[in-house]
Amino acid sequence: MSARVAVPGTGSARHAPPAAYRRAGAALAAEWIKLRSLRSMLLTPLLGAVMSIGVADSAVRNNATGWAHLDSVQKARFDPLSVNFNFVIIGILLFGVLGALVATNEYGCGLIRTTLAATPQRGLLLAAKAILAGVALFMLAVVITFTTFFTGQAILSGAHAPHVSLGDHNVLGHLLGTVYYMTAAGLIGLFTGVLVRSAAAAITSVFGFLLVLPLLADKITPDAVTRHTVPYLPANLGDEMLHHHTGLRPGVAVAGLAAWVLVLAAAAAFSLRGRDA
Amino acid sequence: MSVRAGTPARLGIRLDSRLRASALSEWIKFRSLRSGPSALAAAALTVVVGAWLLGAGNRGSYLAASPAGQAAFDPVFTVLQGIELAQLFVGAFGVITVTGEYTSGLIRGTFVATPQRAQVLAMRALVFTVVVWACCTAMSFAAFFLGQSVLSPAKHAGIGDPGVLTAVFGAGLYLTFIGLLGMFIGVLVRRTPGALAVLFGLLAVLPIVFVQIPGEITKNVGEYLPDAGEQVYKLMHSGAYALGPWPGFGVLAVYVALAAVAAFALILRRDA
Repeated sequence: MSARVAVPGTGSARHAPPAAYRRAGAALAAEWIKLRSLRSMLLTPLLGAVMSIGVADSAVRNNATGWAHLDSVQKARFDPLSVNFNFVIIGILLFGVLGALVATNEYGCGLIRTTLAATPQRGLLLAAKAILAGVALFMLAVVITFTTFFTGQAILSGAHAPHVSLGDHNVLGHLLGTVYYMTAAGLIGLFTGVLVRSAAAAITSVFGFLLVLPLLADKITPDAVTRHTVPYLPANLGDEMLHHHTGLRPGVAVAGLAAWVLVLAAAAAFSLRGRDA
Repeated sequence: MSVRAGTPARLGIRLDSRLRASALSEWIKFRSLRSGPSALAAAALTVVVGAWLLGAGNRGSYLAASPAGQAAFDPVFTVLQGIELAQLFVGAFGVITVTGEYTSGLIRGTFVATPQRAQVLAMRALVFTVVVWACCTAMSFAAFFLGQSVLSPAKHAGIGDPGVLTAVFGAGLYLTFIGLLGMFIGVLVRRTPGALAVLFGLLAVLPIVFVQIPGEITKNVGEYLPDAGEQVYKLMHSGAYALGPWPGFGVLAVYVALAAVAAFALILRRDA
């Protein structure tokens, strides 16, 4: 009681909780320092860019030089955008891993205990982390996707093979869809990382979930159950942005992927609140 | 000379008791690895439940397939394909058995206690191989019998049919070798994320890259990636791969051997 009575004087101003926006600003600043000093934040996107752009360009070059030797059926089936973006899966995986590392690195070195002591508002913490990582991943994805597109189409046009430009029907939509998919993969990795709290488990989950599970699901013959579940795996929803082979409408794919991210975000926020570090 | 005079008593520890002590300490670390049981459980679940799903899913398609499709149907490989996912778990298990110790710093204690580092690594590989091989072979047999019983009206195989026992044993052996590959990569990289990226890149990403780039060179080289070891649990060897079961497995064994040589060479000269 006496402690409380003493407060109303000068002390109350000093001990009043900071305004919500200040707290959010501080959390964002702290998360930004951790994000930019994460070593993988430099290496992984670099590797992703080199792999995606390099491998896509060599595939496009192979197709471009072989263009004259294709028969009419193959020429009719040739999709300059699809050829250019077959390798987006590598970028997806690296983004997923990067997202997982953003979350688990802190658990690995024990920094998470300090972080949670400094910012006990764990929901705010997760939101700050997700927003910053999401923005960073989005910008990286824009650079990688558009560089892949411009270099790939330049190679095709140099070889006089069919190519598309940014203004053509649906092209910009496809590219933005790819950027969206890569960002979503990174966030899926991040929230999975918060859920499992270990780099190994998170990275294994990302690979299993985004790469191997859809491949295995394709090997099961379609029946009533798989026809209504398999297209909604995140990797198949993302694939839909580029290839249109599962028959879902693009809007459904965009919403489905967003639903995955949101569900994982809710699960991560819920488990972060209730568990120790 | 006088410096040596005091040592004989210590040098007198016989090799077999040293190896036994090393194996015992490796066993304690191995069985107290927190993520170990869950990694093996995830692998077992994937392989066995996968066999059930794949068997049920392919039963109908087999009956509806053309005679050529029915002839090319491989009842053993079809139900064991869950291994493609399970290998990530077993490989990650191999990685963590090593990198976990580097992360926690225990590796420094280990090397102070046993300066014979090659002996530490050899005993760890031995303990890992014995336990993981036993578990993976058991899950492979369970998956085989479950998968065949689910496939039943369609073409299915008995364990006594030619090549089947080899394939089912080979599946357990394949998973074990993937785990060993992960372990040696873990020694080389010493950090969990990096080692996992290298391992998964080799297992899951490179095959996709090689399939997508058209051309003779990629087709020929693509046959000699670590996943060539999958040949060992296939009955039918027509199609893209020309390698037979054991030559295919040999390719994987060469990768494991190369990683092992590099790991033994580096663990002796690097710090912890």
